Amino acid sequence: MAKETPLLPVEDAREMALFFVVGALCFLAALATLSAKSTYGAARSWTAEVEGELTVSLPDADRRGAEEARQLIEATEGVREARLLSKQEIDALLEPNFGSRGLPESLPLPQLIAVTAEPDTQFMGPTLERRLTEAGYAHAVDEHADWAGDVRRMLAIARLVALTAVALLASTAVAVIAFATHAALLARRDIVDVLHLAGARDRYIAGLFERRFWLLGLRAGAVGALLALGAAAAMIFGVHSSGARSGLLPVLSLDIVDLLILVLTPVIAGLAARIAARVTVIRSLKSVM
Amino acid sequence: MTLPRHDLFDDVAVRLDGVSLRYDTSEDILSGIDLVLKPGSFSFLTGASGAGKTSLLKLLYLALKPTRGEVSLFGRPTSRLTRDQLSALRRRVGVVFQEFRLLDHLTAYENVALPLRVLGRKEASYRHDVEELLAWVGLGERMHSRPPTLSGGEQQRVAIARAVVTQPDILIADEPTGNVDPEMGARLMRLFLELNKRRATTVIIATHDLGLVRQVDAPVFRLQHGLLVQDVEYGPAARRRTDIVKTVD
Ligand SMILES: Nc1ncnc2c1ncn2[C@@H]1O[C@H](COP(=O)(O)OP(=O)(O)O)[C@@H](O)[C@H]1O
Ligand SMILES: [Mg+2]
Repeated sequence: MAKETPLLPVEDAREMALFFVVGALCFLAALATLSAKSTYGAARSWTAEVEGELTVSLPDADRRGAEEARQLIEATEGVREARLLSKQEIDALLEPNFGSRGLPESLPLPQLIAVTAEPDTQFMGPTLERRLTEAGYAHAVDEHADWAGDVRRMLAIARLVALTAVALLASTAVAVIAFATHAALLARRDIVDVLHLAGARDRYIAGLFERRFWLLGLRAGAVGALLALGAAAAMIFGVHSSGARSGLLPVLSLDIVDLLILVLTPVIAGLAARIAARVTVIRSLKSVM
Repeated sequence: MTLPRHDLFDDVAVRLDGVSLRYDTSEDILSGIDLVLKPGSFSFLTGASGAGKTSLLKLLYLALKPTRGEVSLFGRPTSRLTRDQLSALRRRVGVVFQEFRLLDHLTAYENVALPLRVLGRKEASYRHDVEELLAWVGLGERMHSRPPTLSGGEQQRVAIARAVVTQPDILIADEPTGNVDPEMGARLMRLFLELNKRRATTVIIATHDLGLVRQVDAPVFRLQHGLLVQDVEYGPAARRRTDIVKTVD
């Protein structure tokens, strides 16, 4: 005798359809997750860029007092550099408002200190505010607050949208996989019944289907995830060859998290199909005797 | 030393106590049936089409739960058993289904070997027996064909071979000769009788073919209006008795 035929028939148009559905859903879910993640990355680098710089203005201080304040600021944790702006720089900043002749000498001008944060430091405004107050300075910390606030709000919405899309797609994928598995199984009811009446235990029968659908979900999920990887790579290539300023675009570099997504997608698809198969078989067996 | 085949309660192979069955909302298909089949007995179940023969057999091979009453196999009330224990009981029961229930993607040989595979037996350990059995039912040449390419009668013989391949303690056959010519019918009956005599298999055969019933001296149960009545035997001995009665008359 040649090798034993599997108890479950191998080729089945219905299983091909299921394979396609699982593959397509995994493609979409993996792609959505990859884009959500890159949105996250872009959001982080954007806000960092915005939040990484702030300006302290000292209305009452003279040049010497301003230098002391600068040193105080520079000694603060998270500050990479604090630079006192020169008269020329302040004039240049104010030129749009007051014209190129500069300001009258008599006008009291605030001293301005440009502060650059260490990378990864976020939102050091309040800390600086506190230190300067403790040191007795009348001051204003301008955190580029308006603009940064807008960017933060926008990015928060983008993150929420991306997360919602991922959650919806992933749960839809799991639900559709479960339904499709269920349907494919009902068509195999004859096999379930024959094995059952021949004295096969529930877990033996369920095991046959679990193995089959686990492998199907795993393979289809892998195909979908690989296609998503290809699509993501194509997008990165497109962005790079267009020469766009990458700092403001979503970061599409493949790192360990992306690879994790690509590995997890087929595993989740396989598990969804497997659990659906188990639940369907056990339930349909319980409905007989 | 081998343990005795039957445990303490095995003096009854099949026992039905006040068994009723209804599907969905309809009236009772079977109502209050009592039945005892002794180990090694051979009996027929008759009744018009739709009388409930298949339904009664389904209760015996544990495919259905009775609506009321208790079905016991080998002295064990099945309503009190776990699912695994029920599976273990099913392995001692061979069934020839009225509609065969062969798996189309498996060959005749693999269909017959299916119950052995379920038991976890290795192919090498049963190949010879299965091939011999297939040859005996006249399918030696066709054992590697798939059911869709077999005739109705050939499929029926595959179904019978699958039911007896594990040498079950109980053999339940639902219209097992419905699709074969009388000659093959008689041959299959001899197989059932042989199993019954040589291995003390309890056999119950549902049929409305009285020609088949007349070949054997065996009790005949008849289903009518949901009730089970035991007819006089139809077999050769019974006919001789009626002849004697007539002569005396
Ligand atoms: N699964 C079912 N659901 C509802 N009614 C059924 C079902 N199976 C059989 N019946 C009904 O039960 C009655 C007995 O059927 P069955 O046991 O197949 O009789 P037989 O085998 O003697 O021809 C018939 O009226 C049939 O229509
Ligand atoms: Mg019937």
